[in-house]
Amino acid sequence: MWAKTITGNFASVIHGLNTNHLTDVVIQRSKRMILDTLGVGLLGTSTEVCQKVKQYSKIYSSDISSTIWGHLDFRLPPLYAAFVNGVAVHSMDFDDTWHPATHPSGAVLPAVMALSEAFPQKKKISGLDLLLAFNVGIEVQGRLLRFSSEARNIPKRFHPPTVVGTMGSAAACAKLLALNQMKCKNTLAIAASYAGAPLANAATQTKPLHIGNAAKHGLEAACLASQGLQGNNQILDMESGIGAFYTDYNPQTLPTLQSYPWLLDQQDVAIKRFPAHLGTHWVADAASSVRRKLVENSGNLLPLETIEKVIVKVPEVKYVNRPSPNSEHEARHSFQFVACSTLLDGSMSIQSFASENIHRPALQELLCKTQLEHPSDNKPSFESLYCEVTVVLRDGNTISDRCNTFYGHWRKPLTKGDLEKKFQSNASEVLPAEAIEGIIETVYNLEKVEDCSVLNTFLSGQSARLLPEKLHVEHSNS
Amino acid sequence: MGAAQFRQIFLQPLQSNRSSQFPPPRGHWRSHLQCKGDAHREGTDLVCRRVSKLLSGTDSYSDPFCRAAARGDFFSVSHSNDDILSCVYKWISDSPALVVARSAPEETVTSSFASFIHAVRPEHLSKIVRYRSKRMILDSIGVGLVGSTTHVFDIALKYCLELYSSVAVSNVYGKPGVKLSPTLAAFTNGVATHSMDFDDTWHPATHPSGAVLPALLAASQMLPPNSKPNGLDFLLAFNVGLEVQGRLMHFSTEAHNIPKRFHPPSVVGTMGSAAATAKLLCLNMTQCTHALGIAASLAGAPMANAATQAKPLHIGNATRLGFEAALLAARGMEANPFILDDISGCSGFSAFYSIYQPRSLSTPNEHHEFLLEKQDIAFKRFPAHLGMHWVVDAALSVRNLFINYAGSFSPSLIRTIVLKVPVSKYINRPFPNSEHEARHSFQFNACTALLDGEVGLSSFTESSIHRQELRELLHKVVVEHPEDNVANFDKMYGEVAVLLKSGDVLTGKCDTFYGHWRKPLSRESLLKKFRSNASHVLPEEKVETIITMVDNLENLSDSSHLACSL
Repeated sequence: MWAKTITGNFASVIHGLNTNHLTDVVIQRSKRMILDTLGVGLLGTSTEVCQKVKQYSKIYSSDISSTIWGHLDFRLPPLYAAFVNGVAVHSMDFDDTWHPATHPSGAVLPAVMALSEAFPQKKKISGLDLLLAFNVGIEVQGRLLRFSSEARNIPKRFHPPTVVGTMGSAAACAKLLALNQMKCKNTLAIAASYAGAPLANAATQTKPLHIGNAAKHGLEAACLASQGLQGNNQILDMESGIGAFYTDYNPQTLPTLQSYPWLLDQQDVAIKRFPAHLGTHWVADAASSVRRKLVENSGNLLPLETIEKVIVKVPEVKYVNRPSPNSEHEARHSFQFVACSTLLDGSMSIQSFASENIHRPALQELLCKTQLEHPSDNKPSFESLYCEVTVVLRDGNTISDRCNTFYGHWRKPLTKGDLEKKFQSNASEVLPAEAIEGIIETVYNLEKVEDCSVLNTFLSGQSARLLPEKLHVEHSNS
Repeated sequence: MGAAQFRQIFLQPLQSNRSSQFPPPRGHWRSHLQCKGDAHREGTDLVCRRVSKLLSGTDSYSDPFCRAAARGDFFSVSHSNDDILSCVYKWISDSPALVVARSAPEETVTSSFASFIHAVRPEHLSKIVRYRSKRMILDSIGVGLVGSTTHVFDIALKYCLELYSSVAVSNVYGKPGVKLSPTLAAFTNGVATHSMDFDDTWHPATHPSGAVLPALLAASQMLPPNSKPNGLDFLLAFNVGLEVQGRLMHFSTEAHNIPKRFHPPSVVGTMGSAAATAKLLCLNMTQCTHALGIAASLAGAPMANAATQAKPLHIGNATRLGFEAALLAARGMEANPFILDDISGCSGFSAFYSIYQPRSLSTPNEHHEFLLEKQDIAFKRFPAHLGMHWVVDAALSVRNLFINYAGSFSPSLIRTIVLKVPVSKYINRPFPNSEHEARHSFQFNACTALLDGEVGLSSFTESSIHRQELRELLHKVVVEHPEDNVANFDKMYGEVAVLLKSGDVLTGKCDTFYGHWRKPLSRESLLKKFRSNASHVLPEEKVETIITMVDNLENLSDSSHLACSL
């Protein structure tokens, strides 16, 4: 397979080249370049910009460190804590999705949480400060997504969190650092130089890196700007700025601050019930209803042998169309896989993506009978897409159901109880029950928390017994 | 250039919008119009010169301008050096009337974002916003916690632990006592390399070495003593990094010209660094594939940050992030194995181009021909964008003509300076204000060469940039873009014509500057440049050691010695 693709071919050349391939001319020229580059670099060490990045890089050798979620045993420098926690958030594609499509929270939260631990001891970051910075980061992402009508549909070129997420993380960190207006502007400009990863890495291990890097690089941009580093001061205005990531870029100013209309006010997020691409949630709900009808008379067992074929009507989204996924990451991006798993099991869960479940014969058999259809009225937008699952039986009967809005979508939000249930189930994999309760209580009361470091304490896995000492909840009069 | 011609050139593209009504100010463009009736007295010449200057100006001026012009049939004909578009001509049939437009910085989209971020307060958060965002936070933490049990998380974590909490091992240029973690050393040294825009330039246009070398130096110090690459391994890895960059540049005809959207080193440089470090670290073929795939997710920075301090970051990040990609791939991280192939509906590396035609590399046999073999590099003689080198050489020959003509160089005799250069917005800056802008200004470099008889390190100091006589000369500059002068480093030329008040014209043209691949620097010139650069931070003896080491690189038993001597 390697030689057939350009990429495989490049890899084989990189791998296959050896020192005998070097010619005298090449050696001579490249040595000239090396020498020249060294000289240029040596000289460059005295420049202002170089001073700034060195100053910045020193944070790695300092004592400042931030919490790694679920780990009491070690901490990392803030930048890498943001990275690692950001990767964790998107590692299963289980994090929230907004409209227009992006994963807004994962790019912002790990960055501001890590940054909140990087301030000098005496400076406390309140829960309200954290909430504000978080929302600035979310708002900026939402606004940027409205600069292009392309962005309203499920993407094709760049993975949105790598573009708007990096900018959102930068904005949130700039806010938490209380940077002045000029530095906020430079933060955005610098962050733009870190933005943008191609969509082709969806359904690979590299996709979670996109969120980790968005968090990390936004934080890095804000830190560099706070050191005084300057970028283009019209980065959002120009086609060669953020416009470089879109073909129909049309930037708009923000509303005035008086009674500011937050996008999150108008548009809620979707919260996933199982760890897979959002588009597969419509498929799961439709397939689940079909299954209920199928098993009515067969003692809750799917009569697999009576199924002729399965037709799944979904929008055309190339990277979620995978007839026979091979890895967990591919399975999370497969309409077909989710349809068949749900038909077999009745519902989707974390376990559905375990290797033994992906490769079980019954599922493979059903996958072979499954085909996608793309009706022209089914547009690839999370606002309007639907899914219709039809099972055609050997006897010619068909059973079919349609999902317009899955449970968890912004039009049909999870109940408080179900959200907590999801959190507890997730968190209990790595944290003791007391810490879990501590987190829930702290987040519910976040705007009253005087020092948000308590949240990081719980996240590291420390027991909730610390709660009374650390959590000063003000009793508000209102 | 007469009025008729002026209209032909500058009205034409806007013709389709001429009949449109003037809508209320939209977006960041707000014009305060003020009539001054004496415009016609200034004469068509001055008008045209100013129009030409403005319309060939940077994006930041011409874009808002064009939009305003398209809406209201207004034409800006000059902008002052305090970053404010200052004059707009309203062209009503043949009687021009001068109007003044001001665009205050806080009225741009960008600044509206910045002021929002800066000024928004907790009270601005509504109940619903707090409620929803808290739900998101809780959910996000939960999925993160469960995510910390995944394989991909383990890889990322191991990577950070190994690299960032262990002892720093890699040298930083010019700081013998300072060591950093390998990728950060690469970052810092990469930034140093491009900090003055003094590093090499290839064709099609990119800065190949700065994206590769710092990563290799840092990596050579990171490897354990028993597996140190020798000098030849090092040289090979360097060339793999170059070759990959060169091949990728040939995937798009767009890339042949000076770029408009993405800064090439941030795109191909990141890939080159990944390839080079993958080679030095002896990754297997699968790992090499994934290194490229991961690197693509770390590539691409918009052009708009050219001529700012953020541009050197592009090289620093290219070398560092390509290196990170290889290190992650070495630890088993997987990416799309078809990243370079043209995948419709789900872009890989093609996301960075609008025209993309990937081509295979021939599998290396006995006689693999590296691109560097066919296409040498350009070395800069002074720290500025490569395009400046043509203009400076042309200006220097005009200066000599001038001295022969008048006995000395006297700016007062000059009426107009015409620069004939290709269209490239980001290096067309009539009045640069910072060192970084000056390095990207045809006008600045031409005028400095005319005034001083040379362009060097000291030309870009604050005091040089802002001196009065230079500013006066800049006001006389008109930029023209002959059709045959294309924005391509293999074909462009620089022509400087000085129109004297006496009516005489002095002209100089440069087709190939000294340092270009068609006219390479001699060994002496190259060594002179190196010694002059290195001696700013290293003692003479060390400078000579480095020269010898690189001269004999293929015989070096341990390539990390090179990094250690920096």
